[in-house]
Amino acid sequence: MTVEQTIEKLNKSKVPIIVIDKKLERFKGQNLFPEKLKRANEILAKTGLPKLTDR
Amino acid sequence: MPKGQVKHLKYNYRSESTLHFYEFVSEGPKGLIKKVVIYTETTIENVYNLGFGDYDESTNGINDLSVTNNGDSLKILATVASTVYAFTEKYPNAWILATGSTAVRTRLYRMGITNNLAEIETDFIVLGYTKNEEWEKFLVGEDYEAFLFTKKENKN
Repeated sequence: MTVEQTIEKLNKSKVPIIVIDKKLERFKGQNLFPEKLKRANEILAKTGLPKLTDR
Repeated sequence: MPKGQVKHLKYNYRSESTLHFYEFVSEGPKGLIKKVVIYTETTIENVYNLGFGDYDESTNGINDLSVTNNGDSLKILATVASTVYAFTEKYPNAWILATGSTAVRTRLYRMGITNNLAEIETDFIVLGYTKNEEWEKFLVGEDYEAFLFTKKENKN
């Protein structure tokens, strides 16, 4: 792929270029939003995932 | 701009290798405020809770109730939306559930979705959790407690 093609591809991409920062690895697996996660699990326990139809 | 891309400016952000945790800095009249977006596994496989808030370095904790009024809420929402693209690029089968920590923040999420709905719906299915405790296709003007996103390809 040429430089021009690479730039064109990047410009068209919806996915951002992400900088990976090793210092952030320390947050892996941490539950920093326990209340929100609890509520999310309550909703999912009640409804599960919806069936997707063309309604 | 590519079709489907959220139309507002966004902040650059950093992540770790699994792309579950994102960090960026809000800039405005109130100064520099570190923000984080975190995708956490729920009890259902492939469903992740989206958490978003201010990172407090002094406590190493998150404040998801703060209202910083830094004049950049649309840019912040666009940044959070961008992490959804990043996360679902790596985990294409993921469903993302987002709840606001307060009614105000839930309305802000709703506003952000409403203002970008046409773009978002080119790539994602968007559902709202109603007062009747049901999921329905996101409708502009309706009140929802939570929102659910997944890539259109996951339609069953």
